[in-house]
Amino acid sequence: MRAAPRPGLYLHVPFCVHRCGYCDFNVATGSDAALRTRYAAALSRRVTQIAAAGPGAVEPGRLAGAGDPWPVFGSVFIGGGTPTLLDSDDLAGILRRVFAVLPMAPDVEVTVEANPETVTDAGALRPLVDAGLTRLSLGAQSTSTAVLDQLERRHDPDTVPRAIAAARAAGVDQVAVDLIYGTPGETDEQWRRSLADVLDAGVDHVSAYALTLAPNTPYAREVAAGTKAAPDDDVAADRMEVAASVLAAAGLERYEVSNWARSGARCRHNLSTWRGGDYLAAGAGAHGRWAGRRWWEIRATSAWLRGVEGSGRVVGGSEIVDSEQHRAERLLTGLRITEGVTRDEVAPIDEAALGTLVQAGLLVDEAGRLRATRDGLARVDGMALALLP
Amino acid sequence: MTYPIERIRNFAIIAHIDHGKSTLADRMLQLTELVEARAFRDQYLDRMDLERERGITIKAQAVRMPYRPLDGGEYLLNLIDTPGHVDFSYEVSRAMNACEGAVLLVDAVQGMEAQTIANLYVAIEAGLEVIPVLNKIDLPAARPEEIAAEIASLLGDDPDDILAVSAKTGEGVRELLERIVERVPAPSTDPGGHTRALIFDSIYDTYRGVITYVRVVDGELWPGQDVRLMATGFHNEIDELAVISPEPKPVDRLGPGEVGYFTAAIKEVDQARVGDTVTDHRSPTPQPLPGYREPTPMVFTGLYPVDSEDFPDLRDALERLRLNDASFTFEPETSVALGFGFRCGFLGMLHMEIISERLDREYDIPLVATAPNVRYEVDLEERLRQPGEDSSLVVSNPAELPAPNRISEIREPVVEGMIITPSTYVGAVMQLCESRRGQMLKMEYITEERVELRYQLPLAEIVFDFFDRLKSQTRGYASLDYEPGGLIAADLVRVDILLNNESVDAFSSIVHRDKAYEYGKAMVAKLRELIPRQMFDVPVQAAIGSKIIARETIKARRKDVLAKCYGGDVTRKRKLLERQKEGKKKMKSVGAVDIPQEAFVAALSVGED
Repeated sequence: MRAAPRPGLYLHVPFCVHRCGYCDFNVATGSDAALRTRYAAALSRRVTQIAAAGPGAVEPGRLAGAGDPWPVFGSVFIGGGTPTLLDSDDLAGILRRVFAVLPMAPDVEVTVEANPETVTDAGALRPLVDAGLTRLSLGAQSTSTAVLDQLERRHDPDTVPRAIAAARAAGVDQVAVDLIYGTPGETDEQWRRSLADVLDAGVDHVSAYALTLAPNTPYAREVAAGTKAAPDDDVAADRMEVAASVLAAAGLERYEVSNWARSGARCRHNLSTWRGGDYLAAGAGAHGRWAGRRWWEIRATSAWLRGVEGSGRVVGGSEIVDSEQHRAERLLTGLRITEGVTRDEVAPIDEAALGTLVQAGLLVDEAGRLRATRDGLARVDGMALALLP
Repeated sequence: MTYPIERIRNFAIIAHIDHGKSTLADRMLQLTELVEARAFRDQYLDRMDLERERGITIKAQAVRMPYRPLDGGEYLLNLIDTPGHVDFSYEVSRAMNACEGAVLLVDAVQGMEAQTIANLYVAIEAGLEVIPVLNKIDLPAARPEEIAAEIASLLGDDPDDILAVSAKTGEGVRELLERIVERVPAPSTDPGGHTRALIFDSIYDTYRGVITYVRVVDGELWPGQDVRLMATGFHNEIDELAVISPEPKPVDRLGPGEVGYFTAAIKEVDQARVGDTVTDHRSPTPQPLPGYREPTPMVFTGLYPVDSEDFPDLRDALERLRLNDASFTFEPETSVALGFGFRCGFLGMLHMEIISERLDREYDIPLVATAPNVRYEVDLEERLRQPGEDSSLVVSNPAELPAPNRISEIREPVVEGMIITPSTYVGAVMQLCESRRGQMLKMEYITEERVELRYQLPLAEIVFDFFDRLKSQTRGYASLDYEPGGLIAADLVRVDILLNNESVDAFSSIVHRDKAYEYGKAMVAKLRELIPRQMFDVPVQAAIGSKIIARETIKARRKDVLAKCYGGDVTRKRKLLERQKEGKKKMKSVGAVDIPQEAFVAALSVGED
């Protein structure tokens, strides 16, 4: 049996220079340097508060109390937004605080997300590496100008290889890039080009996401108004197939619906969450999960800041995930990863539906595990719905 | 008080929907001062909400109106209101048989419609004195002379003899009442005869049991009398004997020619059937009144609860509905696709809609209804008969039709349809009838502009959408009525639908061989549209026996996965999944394919476009 995954820590930095039309993340634009520095200080403070309260404060049914030690953490993930919009010393300061207040595994994975144009200077990345950064995740999205324009991304295509080179020069252990496929107007050729470009630049990890029409985004409004085309699922399915072939040929192994990695370069933090592992969270709108409880911090940056600085609440809400919900979540996320999920974790399931899915070549039921096939990975949500009793 | 028989006038009003029957009845109630203005509500006689909403009368009612004509004396007018739809033509005929006269009410704008003419013929056949009346003469578009000529030519009357009224303003209504007194004959009776009363309606009441409406023909009824209902053999003492005037008023006797109702602890309307004869249990008549007919459903559909756990509730609901509607039938049946449900029989499509609506409204049970069909008679091939098997059988569920090689003949119900249309649309109407396998029986010009067409049509071809098509082909001007015309042999086949190579019995349909290919093609195309893409390719096939006649493929949904699933996405996705799961419960699953409810009635609209 696999040992329970080590818990992780997620930190959210909401700032972006510009909100892209398709984005539905918790993002704040128009920040100034003073606000960003204030936020960095608050994030350090928040991590300190959480660490000091101990696991009893987040675990349901247990009384908060001193003497309850934290388990050793296996990963830290600073996501956004654009975390690298913070001053790199501020960002390094947060990391140092994290290491000071929570026990970290010797081989802890520390990821920071960045937009390529913010990290073309190796000098600015070095303090982060010194503070523990092991992994840089670049939001490249595409190397086609036409597609980047469609996506309202602000970088030139050649910024991507420059950022990758800078990360290498600064001593970042693993470099990952995010790509988006299926943008209306994108050609098959453009998509293959994007994949080839990032592979040529030398990456350890690729996340390839289908462009998604999220509700309440400017993009969704344009689609509703008829001024922009919606992404086409069949096209997306084709592109996903292209990604699977091209990345496999380049030696990257798929380990999740949208994630490929060289050996040893899987994102440990995300993998742990898909396996149902626990993680703490801090930052505006960040979601955490611990021992069957899920909570989220206040989404609005200003309210969150006031809360952390001492004049209000920080947690926006929480829920206890009951066993039925937990099984549903295990099914949803467990089928997303290529290693699959044990039957024990998701039982009971609709066995007749399982039989049909196995017969259709979408799912493998083997040695007590359920695992999506390559075809099945494109239809995990539909399969989860079918399997749910 | 009782009235001498010579001062009783029993009459009905024959009118097309919207030609103003209810308004005229309301006006009569006011003129005879039975209803005070403040207690007045429109369409006083239509009791059911559904009737009021649809503006049609489903159940017959009777109202007793004492009336003093201008020349003195006091008369008793009984207005027997008749149902206004072809589905209920038998009920209409019984109500007519309770009368001696009929007011033929014709809209001075619209003119005669097929339904009116059909009912007129029923009235003439029943020997009723017909009083033609033009209504809505106050409307600017009224064409009184023209319509009067039309009526006169049909009745062989003098056009000048036709009364003109406006039920809306009340103009001419008193003259009409005068004429009813003058022209409608008094009822006749056999003075020494045994008690005989005609049931022309029965209504279920939660508190009093069945309320049976009767017209006394011979003898009399009184409270406490032990009465027998001859067709069913039920007998019991009369609890309550009353007339409606226009609210119920108890009476101690109903004599010959009188109209009223009684209760006798009758638990379901099936025991007090329309057309049956009521007699005295201790001194029964040997001779029931003529014309009784068992209620015969014409249209059948399978009703299945979406959630199989609702099956007992559905049975209860149907049993309760049946308490007050004996003309609808139900029997449990099993469908491979839909599980346990009921095969329900109705007088016609309107009747079916009414029952379905009541199930929905009053009982709130989510249902899947299969496409309606008619009832067939099937002769079995002699040499393939099982020992003990009958030589022929009745099929009201297409799935039960035996294999083609076991059938020597199939007979389908036909109707004799009467269509009245402006002459401009004769071509279109003929084309429509022929496309529905109609055989022309007669074509007659009523006037230069109006034509009466008679066709023999298979019932199956007209029950679903024929009327709508007729209306759209004639810009709403044509009207239709029909009566059963027996069973005739036809070259019919069952078209089965296979989803994912599994036959879905609930989709099976019996169609004419010449139309089978076209039907199969249209049906699979329709289903391809209606059934959402699934996790895998789903072939949709139409077949006759083992022969595939049409095929489409519902292409698999190739991508159905959230691109990103991190942090808070998991909760959101799980909640979405929980909602989808609820939605899935509302779908039936066959051969691992989720089928939305609307697909089951797809056959209804096949060939529409």
